[in-house]
Amino acid sequence: MRTIRTAVAMTAVAGVAALTLTACGSGGGSGDADTIQFMFRGGPDEKAAYEEAIERYTEDTGIKVEMIVTDADQYATKLQAAVSGGKVPDVFYIEQANLQSYVHSGVLMDITDLVEESDVDLDNIWPFGVDSYRFDGELQGTPDGRLYGLPKDVGPFAFGYNKTMLEEAGIPLPSPEEGYTWDEFVDVTEQLTVDKDGDGALDQWGTGLNVMWNLQALVWSNGGDWTNEDRTEVTVDTPEFAEALQYFADLTNVHGVTPSASDAATLDTYQRWMAGEIGFFPVGPWDVSVYNDLDFEYDLIPWPVGATGEPATWVGSLGIGVSATTGNPEAAVELVTYLSADRQAQETLVAANIQVPNLIDMAEEWAAAPDAEPANREEFLSIVRETGRPMPAAFTFGAAWYDELWTNIQPVLDGTQTAEDYLAEVQPRMQDLLDESNLRAEQAAAAG
Amino acid sequence: MSGLGDTRTARAAVAAVTAAQLAASDEPWQPDEPLRTRKEVNRLHRTEHRWAALFMAAPIIGFLAFTVYPLGYAIYASLTRWNGLGQMTFIGLENYLRLFRDQYFLTSLWNTFFYMIGIPIGLALSLLLALALNRGIFGQTAFRTIYYVPVVSSLAAVAIVWQFAYNGDYGMINQVLAWFGIQGPDWLQNTATVKPAIIIMAIWKGLGYSTLLYLAAIQSVPRSMLEAATIDGASAAQRVWSIVVPMVRPVTFFLVVTNIIGGAQLFTEVNIMTPNGGPEFSSATVVWYIFRQAFRYQEMGYATAMAVVLGIIIFVVTLIQFRLNRRNEFSVE
Repeated sequence: MRTIRTAVAMTAVAGVAALTLTACGSGGGSGDADTIQFMFRGGPDEKAAYEEAIERYTEDTGIKVEMIVTDADQYATKLQAAVSGGKVPDVFYIEQANLQSYVHSGVLMDITDLVEESDVDLDNIWPFGVDSYRFDGELQGTPDGRLYGLPKDVGPFAFGYNKTMLEEAGIPLPSPEEGYTWDEFVDVTEQLTVDKDGDGALDQWGTGLNVMWNLQALVWSNGGDWTNEDRTEVTVDTPEFAEALQYFADLTNVHGVTPSASDAATLDTYQRWMAGEIGFFPVGPWDVSVYNDLDFEYDLIPWPVGATGEPATWVGSLGIGVSATTGNPEAAVELVTYLSADRQAQETLVAANIQVPNLIDMAEEWAAAPDAEPANREEFLSIVRETGRPMPAAFTFGAAWYDELWTNIQPVLDGTQTAEDYLAEVQPRMQDLLDESNLRAEQAAAAG
Repeated sequence: MSGLGDTRTARAAVAAVTAAQLAASDEPWQPDEPLRTRKEVNRLHRTEHRWAALFMAAPIIGFLAFTVYPLGYAIYASLTRWNGLGQMTFIGLENYLRLFRDQYFLTSLWNTFFYMIGIPIGLALSLLLALALNRGIFGQTAFRTIYYVPVVSSLAAVAIVWQFAYNGDYGMINQVLAWFGIQGPDWLQNTATVKPAIIIMAIWKGLGYSTLLYLAAIQSVPRSMLEAATIDGASAAQRVWSIVVPMVRPVTFFLVVTNIIGGAQLFTEVNIMTPNGGPEFSSATVVWYIFRQAFRYQEMGYATAMAVVLGIIIFVVTLIQFRLNRRNEFSVE
């Protein structure tokens, strides 16, 4: 009996020990120095573009690249699993919002020096894109931090209108350079909201916006913001912010220029826009390939302009970073420069109509093309250059504080609570969560 | 009961005899003429023991590696501040204390229990359906297949289709309601309707499975009992209530237990149909909140603490059910 017990115990201990060892065993990437693992997400167009860039990379450097593609939804969980399993891919996509955790946890490599040594011209890549991956240990997104990645893309969130609809309604087309004022916008959308077939039910609307993605443009243009510059104080309880949120809700509840009170979170208005039933709707570079095939003409304009007189909107970005445990840092960084700034790869991506070129000179040429569709591509560039800002939670440690604003916002959108009341009520809760997030950032910095 | 008593007495007797034997001699008991020498016996035993250990090691290592180790790891992680990537910082019970002050956790717990209203409704419906399908109606096989289709469909795809159906403006459900002059709500954007909407979908999805099990159970109810009841003048409803329902109780028990365990882990439907936890957090479940904390906010330690609490709740509820079920046990003599 004793022997069995000992044997079982021994095997068990050995088994657990083996597991623990594999779990902690670092390394990561492919053990082979001549192969680089690249993990990313995306559709067939992106895969094709990157395959081209990677082929050239392999020709130039003799280093093979193993590509790991995942679904957009699964990417974050898969990467996190790879990290906790100690199998970090050499090169991988990194979200702005996760950069700080990954830096503090020692997962991302500081690539500042290696990028400077390489022949990539950083001045020719959108500063917003590059700076998004700079982090000085306290603030992210500042031009003087250390570099932890290069942009895979920049995503300016522009505003568009259905040109065919406005022409049919006899409304003068909006200027491509100057946005409507808020009042003008209400006026135009009211004219567009009609019952065309006379059955007593509206079948065309001025607009139909989603609060989570469109409120930023209104708030910023009105002089409000989510936080102060240090990202330590939540400032949603200001009059400018309240006015913008109230305006957003009033588009539905007072002016009635959107389909219905409660469709903010559904796909509803997106489908109506594509069916040609909506006049004004946001357009991202990733939408262009789909929108170009629609039955109507559309173009881009600046967002409606609030009290500051300047339009504003957000720019997103996805980055490409290098694992701190990679066996071949030089090769990995070089791959990042190919993926971010290789001309031919950029051309493939741009031809697929899914992104704005990362290279400034190339983007300017692209915007000036005579057959551009939408014609006002320049609007995308002016957002990246001037009017666009990062999402409020892009550079904070976690987004719990930011999500808190949306969780209970429905009564405001339904018109049963005023924006001012709601914002006064939600601000302390957001502040608590932001404090906690900043505390976490400090703790992580101390631990790292 | 008397059988059990007998066994006990017998065992006690054997134990007494063995004890007496051991007391009588210092040497262990041996056969008078051994078939093998002691050495041979020992070697044989050793070989057998080695093999036995090897065979037993497989499941035991599996259990240790895939159950005990992750469980221990999770419990430890729940006592740390950990973003899922870097170092764990031990913080004792702080995560658990935070949990009970976290209004969203409590709301998600309440929501999760609310969703379980669907379980008795679903079981009643599937029992009725099984009774109907058991009557040999026309197209029985076709109906069985049709009711089983949702079970084998991908949950994610089904959730997207239901999301469209629930759309307030032009969803199928409100269009059907409109034929009867009813102005339907915007199901998934309304705090009062979002949970019922998801419950309806979950019932629809699980109906085929429960019906299948009930159908098998009903078919094993002895025909003689039903006939005897008919002769004694029992009505159809009485036969169902007094004979079929008690006879299928083991299946009901199985379904209740598995449905509660599954229901406590409701996630996919909620995540797809209401990606932000519903208006005013009204559809978020515990698992949905765990996922959000772990993978969106990188609060892996805190999320793990929630998972441990959820695990304990499921364990306790299941234990209670087994206790209650023991009292209800019966047998056909």
